[in-house]
This record gives sequence, C-alpha cells and structure tokens, in this order.
Amino acid sequence: MAKKEKTLEAAMEELNQILARLETDPVSLEDSFRLYQEGMKLLKYCNDSIDKVEKKLIILEEGNGDGV
Amino acid sequence: MTEVYSVSQVNTYIKNLFAHDSLLGYLSVRGEVSGCKYHTSGHIYFTLKDASGQLGCVMFASLRRGLAFRLADGLSVVVRGRISIYERDGRYQLYANEILREGTGDLYAQFLRLKERLAAEGLFDTGHKKPIPAYPKTVGIVTAAAGAAIHDILTVSARRNPYVQLILCPAQVQGEGAAVTIARGIRRLAAMNPDVIIVGRGGGSAEDLWAFNEEIVARVIYECPVPVISAVGHETDFTIADFAADLRAPTPSAAAELAVNEVSLLEGTLADLHAALLKSMRQKIADCRGRLNGLSVQIRYTSPSYQLQQQRLRLADLQTRLSMLFRQRLVLSRKETALLAERMKAVSPLERLTSGYSYLADEEGHMVNSIEKTGPGRQIIASVTDGEITAEVKSVRKINRNR
Repeated sequence: MAKKEKTLEAAMEELNQILARLETDPVSLEDSFRLYQEGMKLLKYCNDSIDKVEKKLIILEEGNGDGV
Repeated sequence: MTEVYSVSQVNTYIKNLFAHDSLLGYLSVRGEVSGCKYHTSGHIYFTLKDASGQLGCVMFASLRRGLAFRLADGLSVVVRGRISIYERDGRYQLYANEILREGTGDLYAQFLRLKERLAAEGLFDTGHKKPIPAYPKTVGIVTAAAGAAIHDILTVSARRNPYVQLILCPAQVQGEGAAVTIARGIRRLAAMNPDVIIVGRGGGSAEDLWAFNEEIVARVIYECPVPVISAVGHETDFTIADFAADLRAPTPSAAAELAVNEVSLLEGTLADLHAALLKSMRQKIADCRGRLNGLSVQIRYTSPSYQLQQQRLRLADLQTRLSMLFRQRLVLSRKETALLAERMKAVSPLERLTSGYSYLADEEGHMVNSIEKTGPGRQIIASVTDGEITAEVKSVRKINRNR
C-alpha cells in the first residue's frame, strides 16, 4: 500500500487514451508494442480491481473507534 | 387525609372538575398535527404539538363534518372542542368538534428559514458538490440497522455488484437525538475513507424525517470529504440533507442504484476495451506489413537485375518494331515493283510489235531509226512478233515530224 492506488476510472481513462493513440497517432511499431503491453497491463489491473469476492456487510459497532 | 380513593374515583373526580370548568368546556387550540391516524371505526386520532408540548386529540366519526379537509401530519390547525379525561388511560385529551386549517405548520416555516440560511452560507452550492465515483469498491451507509432502507440497499447492491464492500454504521433515524447519531455515523464512515456514503431512511411522516432537516446533519454532509448520496425515502419532499448532499436519491433503493455500479456492464466494457486493444494492435501490424510490402516492391524496381530485365524488354520491343517496319517496307517495295513491271510492260518493244510496230535494223544489226542510217538498195531487217522480215529499201523521203 506504499504506492498510491490507481482508481478503476483512472485506469480505464488511461486505457482509452492508449487506444486513441494506437488508432490515430502515427506511432512506431516498437512504440505500439509498448503501448499494447501497457494497455494489457491496465486491462489486467481493471479486471483484478473488480476483485470478484463476494463481500459481506460490515456493521460497525456502536461507540467503537468513535472519533467524534 | 387518611382516606384512600380508587383510581376510577380520582379519574371521575377530575372529569367532573374539567366538566365544570368554563374554559375547558369549549376552547380553540392551535398546533401542528402529528401522529395522525384514521381509525377503521371512523374516529381520527392525532396529536397537536408546538415547540415545547403536545396534546392528544380525537375526533369522533359522528363529528367528522367538522373537518373539511384530510388531516395530515405537519399541518398547522386550530381545533375547537372540549378537554376531558379518558378514564381508561387516566389521560386528558381534546375532543374535537371542528378542525380548521391554519396554513403550513411552524416546523415547515422553521425548515424554510434553515434552508434559506444554509443556502446563503453556500452549503448547497453545486460547485461544492463532489462527483460520485463510477466504480466504488467500498460504500458506507448510515441508516437504521433494522429497517426497510438497509434491506433495500443490500438487495439492490447485491444484484448489481456483489463485490462491493458495504459498511453500515447504524444510526437512529428518527426521534430525539437522531440527527446527532446520523452526523456521528457520517463522520465515522468518512474516517474509514469509503468511495461514497449513503445517508438515509425509508419513507415516513414529515416528522419522522425531521432528523434529516437538522443543521448538524447538513453541516456534516457538507464537510464530509467523501461524496454523500442522500436517500430520505420520500419521493417528493426534499429535506435539508438532500440539498446539502452531493447527490439526492429519491429512495434508498435508488441511492444504491446510483452508488453501486453494475458489475456486468463493467465487465462488458472491459471486454470491449480488450477487443479494441487487440484490434488496433493487429491493425498496426497489418499496416506495417503492408508498408513493408510496398517498400519491397519499390526496392525491387530499383535493383540492377530489374533494370536489366527492363532494358531487355525494351530491346525486344524495339526489335519487334524494327522487323515489323522492315516487313511493311518489303510489302511496299513489292507493290512498287509490280507497279513498275506494269509500266515496263506498257513500254516494252515486244508489246509494240504486237500492235503492228516493228524494230528495224541494218545488215549489221544496227538500229535504223532515221533515213540517215539507211538508203536505197540497202537491206533492212524488220523484227515482228513471230520472226524477222528481210527487205530492200527502194527509196527514202524526209518528213518533218515537228518534234
């Protein structure tokens, strides 16, 4: 948790930008491979961050850790 | 002093006391209606209240014509009737003959004043409102632990996205001190830094929802660093909390719809992005391959062997043209020759012979074409078509032919 976590929204935005560059910009093949790999990494990040574990409701106890 | 009375005796005594009081026998009371219940028997039970007290009221079915509108909580009314004891409960109440409307209640006026003040202070500014994150992982909820609201939120959230962590901070959502527990709940959850907080409760009377109209709740929502969705279950009426919240949902279910993203949609979006990524990469490779093909064709054109081949082709072409021209020339020459032959034929002496002309020569074979080249007594050989005639010249005579 040392690194600040990227939000899913930010990751998807980045992915969209990569796609836009791949689709329109005259990038070199090497660069496009790099972009592609980056994109695949972001995609994996997005999929991972959905974290498909069903969550149970947490109910906070009354007066526990109450900072007010 | 030492006499002991029964409960009924005391109640009857007080009832008589009330009955003989000139004021309590017939009076008008102003207050705000709350807890209004239309009983199946036709009687109407309600409580009149003001800022510091309340008074139980009943209007019997037989006196309903004294009420010209539908009684509801929050209405400010003037009730005319008498005050008497309800002996069974030992409670006094107002028996209404007539109920008149007094416009909207004091609480409503208070609500308007607070709303105006907080609005002036900027608590409802749209510029302050935080966007609701599209893909929350953790959603905090402040509501009653056992209520329709939490049940609805759980149901909707589980259907849309069971992978979102919900944290409930139970709060008292109505009655004395409710606003404080709600405010505390928001602060507690905010400290845990969820992605969004839902604050609300199911529907109820204006009074039930009152905690959501209190200043402390509005301020805590305003100051909350986490986006807050208000979900006070009353479709039409807005509470102060609704105005202060970053987003207002008409019901707790709607709040859950707004807060929790649909995971299947997200999965679909990611699948689309994956496909797009693959497609653009494939496109890129195909483009590169196409460019490469183009270049390889270009380089082949500039290669010496290609040049040589081209020269050879050109040479072969020239050769073909050359031989063709030559052949044409030949044909032309043949034609010309034939033409000349015709003309030659026309001028050939043999031709002339057939038309009666003949070739004259002397004895030595010299051509005789003038009287000078012969003379009388000399022989002449005339060639004709089928032989020669030898003749002797008898005479010559000069003729001027005017050539």
